[in-house]
Amino acid sequence: MIAPGIMDETTAPSPDTPREHRTAIVMPAHNEGEVIGGVIRDIRRACHYEIFVVDDASTDDTIRAATEAGATVIPLAAQLGAWGATQTGLRYALRSGIDTVISMDADGQHSAASIPELLAPVLNQQADVVIGACTQRGSILRKIAWRLMKRTSGLALEDITSGFRVYNNEAVKALASWRATLLDYQDVGVLMLLQAKGMRIKDMPVKMQPRIDGKSRIFHSWVIVAYYMSQTLVLGMSKRRARHSSNKYIVRGQ
Amino acid sequence: MIALVTGCIGLAVALTILLLMRKDKLHAAHGLAWFAVALLFACLGFAPGIVDMVAGWVGIEYPPILALSTGMSLLVLKMLLMDIERSRIEVRNQRLTQRIAMLETELQSHRASEFTSVGDNTGRCSANFPGSKRDSGRRSDDQD
Repeated sequence: MIAPGIMDETTAPSPDTPREHRTAIVMPAHNEGEVIGGVIRDIRRACHYEIFVVDDASTDDTIRAATEAGATVIPLAAQLGAWGATQTGLRYALRSGIDTVISMDADGQHSAASIPELLAPVLNQQADVVIGACTQRGSILRKIAWRLMKRTSGLALEDITSGFRVYNNEAVKALASWRATLLDYQDVGVLMLLQAKGMRIKDMPVKMQPRIDGKSRIFHSWVIVAYYMSQTLVLGMSKRRARHSSNKYIVRGQ
Repeated sequence: MIALVTGCIGLAVALTILLLMRKDKLHAAHGLAWFAVALLFACLGFAPGIVDMVAGWVGIEYPPILALSTGMSLLVLKMLLMDIERSRIEVRNQRLTQRIAMLETELQSHRASEFTSVGDNTGRCSANFPGSKRDSGRRSDDQD
């Protein structure tokens, strides 16, 4: 099955046909001016979905590079962090009548070639959210973090921190809410919110590239990691549900 | 003498609160709570026997501990309420920042589509922009 938007230019809408299923890519970016142009061009070569780049108050030329590469840029006046920027993109997608949203990082880690694979379960209504999981990546620190997060939150997903996800319209609506604005990160809090809303979450293994600029926003400083972990673990414990009810919405990967 | 000093401090704080409210430096809702605390402080200062009496009722042998622990509990409660209020303001601030960004993008798109339609004189909008003809299925972002 060719997902709508994947290199199929014959699917242009006519005025008489019902409104087509619309998919967009949301990409939060902070000071990614050097790489974002290439990342967007790679995506556009692979598919022709609308690309919304949410500029998280960058101080470099991220906006110019993304615009020149053909993305719609949503410029935040103040830095809201990766999740705040992603939520802006989700809200904008909702306002624009987008049905399915793919979230991707702007640093070139996520390959557009994996999009059809991730999109299929959502389009086939087998899942509401699909997470592109790559458990091979990351340092020992990241792996310890994953294990602790899974233990405290009770989430039985492989890659909790992956930003490569597909959300259907119901999931986008849930994540555009006020309650989701209270979250600082897109991992445990977001997944637990989706679970509490009864969304079916599936993780699928994907390949990820090393970052082009080579640096994670969180996993590069012990102080930031300590703060991030403390906050995430407390959040996970506070929202933890019974193991049976917390994992009944997890759809096992193939 | 100490009763007079603490009572006077309480009255001074109450007057300061009134002054701040008068000059619109302090919201009435916050000022009310602080004014009540200042008056209570003044009362306890002028009549410290109240603390001894209440401590006797609840069986505390060393009365200043009652005043101290009550004061600390109130401070902790106030700090918690402040953080709850701060969280609410942070969410509102973030939602507004997001909304400004979305509106700015829509404005840019609208200008671009207007420019395109004037440029080619065909009346067509750029297909991918929100607000364009293709965007007939537009929905509102419900939570604002």
